[in-house]
Amino acid sequence: MSAPGINEPPATVTLAHAGGSCHLLFGTCGYSYLEWADSGFYPAGTKTQAMLSTYGRSFSAVELNYTWYQMARAEPLRRMMEKAPAHLQFGAKLTRTLTHERDDNWRRELHAYRDGIEPLRHRLLAILVQLPPGFDRTITHRRYLAELLDGLAGLPVAVEFRHRSWAIDKVFAEFEHRRVSLVMVDAPELPDLFPPLGVVTNPELFYVRLHGRNLAGWRSGSMQKKFDYDYRAAELRQWCDTMLAPMARQASRGIIFFNNHVRAQAPRNALMLAEIVRESMA
Amino acid sequence: MADMEVQDAITPMERAIIHINVADFAVAVERATDATLRRGPLIVAPLAAARPLVFDMSEEAYGDGVRKGMALSRATRMCRAARVVAPRFAQYQRAMAALVNESRHFTPTLEAGMADGHLFLDVTGTHRLFGAAPEVSWRLAKEVRNTLNIRPIWTLASNKLVAKVASRLVKPVGEYIVAEGEEEHFLAPLSPLLLPGLRADERRCLIDLHIDTIGALALFSPAQLGAVFGSRASRLHDLSRGIDQQPLSTGDKRAPAMSREHEFADDTDDYRQVAGVITTLAAAIGNRLRADRLAGRRLTLTLRFTDGTAVTRQLSRKRGSAVDHELRDMAQTLLKRCWQRRIRVRGCRLRCDRLHRHVVQLSLFTEPARAAGKTSRLLAALDAVHAAHGADAIRYGGQHTA
Repeated sequence: MSAPGINEPPATVTLAHAGGSCHLLFGTCGYSYLEWADSGFYPAGTKTQAMLSTYGRSFSAVELNYTWYQMARAEPLRRMMEKAPAHLQFGAKLTRTLTHERDDNWRRELHAYRDGIEPLRHRLLAILVQLPPGFDRTITHRRYLAELLDGLAGLPVAVEFRHRSWAIDKVFAEFEHRRVSLVMVDAPELPDLFPPLGVVTNPELFYVRLHGRNLAGWRSGSMQKKFDYDYRAAELRQWCDTMLAPMARQASRGIIFFNNHVRAQAPRNALMLAEIVRESMA
Repeated sequence: MADMEVQDAITPMERAIIHINVADFAVAVERATDATLRRGPLIVAPLAAARPLVFDMSEEAYGDGVRKGMALSRATRMCRAARVVAPRFAQYQRAMAALVNESRHFTPTLEAGMADGHLFLDVTGTHRLFGAAPEVSWRLAKEVRNTLNIRPIWTLASNKLVAKVASRLVKPVGEYIVAEGEEEHFLAPLSPLLLPGLRADERRCLIDLHIDTIGALALFSPAQLGAVFGSRASRLHDLSRGIDQQPLSTGDKRAPAMSREHEFADDTDDYRQVAGVITTLAAAIGNRLRADRLAGRRLTLTLRFTDGTAVTRQLSRKRGSAVDHELRDMAQTLLKRCWQRRIRVRGCRLRCDRLHRHVVQLSLFTEPARAAGKTSRLLAALDAVHAAHGADAIRYGGQHTA
């Protein structure tokens, strides 16, 4: 393990281990939240336009989630890249019409998405394919996922399942074969939810999303309650020892995004975890 | 530090305006209630009318050249596969009301069209309650889809202008988020004819001047535009740069108002018949105002035509009135102003607002006071008859009979 250098990009840590090293990037799912100005992470009155550059002072990676709500469009994304801090790298969520609201035109949507994210290309950490809880392992869904991954060939891809039926060795083996990263999730324990296994399917990248552990909120159907959770330092330390460290030994790079954004817990927790990892190296 | 705090206190909150737009609203409602209409072209037109005109059509029929206001006979020749159904206006109004109700879960500040599937929501400052504006937009569209079986377009921008242009861009289905600060970039490559609120002469001017993009329009200074567009130059300059500070026209739904409407059994171009209906509506509003001891200062008349278009005119008076003949005279003036098109009228709506308590002002002079007293007694007698025997028991001359 090595200590962070003075010029090291913010919220990154390089862990050295017997087989090599793993570069960790910490960040959040989304960055454009007015609540973060209310909660003090951004200076009061920070405009949406100024949020990405402000975010970049603290982090080196961010997951773009607006690309889930609407199709990625190249021109606005190109302008965004021009303004974004040079060290910042991006995960990009796949559009909902390819995951949650699929229809017969999905191939056309996929083409549009590939074209839309083109400006990200050289700073793209991974495309996040987040599949809904109802997407269980049926023949139809397996076939769809295989075709979708074929359609995303050539791009770094990470897949987050929300149904436990996908937690089998065959799936992991196929991901290993395709060099697709299986997303490791930290969330409340629910019967059908994909379990936190810590399996690394792509030695080049592991991808983690921490959603918080608000069980009541998760069941409420309200986003504002679902992701309202503040990880305690002890929880993050334990998670670091039991999950993060073993994963880091199996890949050359790992990204860890916090999604508990409601009252700006996500950026605070991400910085806290980065510090815990650094301390563990000392 | 103190300066910073003052700065923060006066920084205006970023606006977040959602535009919900159900393309071909009548078709969408018909298809939501009858699954057999979901595949293939569909035309909505009053089949019983003497010369029926197209009220609405599906995207497939539009693709075949069918347009609103086109003679149905021509439309069905252009699109032979189309199914034709008669419009059900009450159904469209109910669907619109349901759409508005769904939207009210997210904000009280909204601007709704007249049963046309258009709705603006101002969700500025609601993020702590409901989350980020894209999430609200998506959830609302999802709710509409689940409860009304209708799939709306949704767009999100910092103002109405940009949200509306974005809707026009993605029609008939889709969504568009224009981030704060992106307005001018977003508009620049688009045709200026997409800008809402342009007058016909302004559109002609833009075409004649070969101003093909909004970006090209934005290059002109207000002074330069003034040479061509006169007093509208400043507004056009703002439009071309995506600047629109207008608040939503909420119609102040909480402000008291009274309205009555009428749907003609057959579309009509008979002025006397429409005038008779307007008199009836004015009398009904007058009756209700007096019962509530109110008076109204403003009347709004809306005529809806066979081709699905509508014309609205308003008239105000300094002092409120609850007197039938005063309301009737205002309404008839409005009718004259609305009666500009040679198209049959399908229905009309009369609305009275700016209401206040009815206060009888005593006159210094005897004669007018006596006349006012006579009018009051006459209206009181009329109201008593109506209360006892129904609205049709006694009528004004020329009044429409139900």
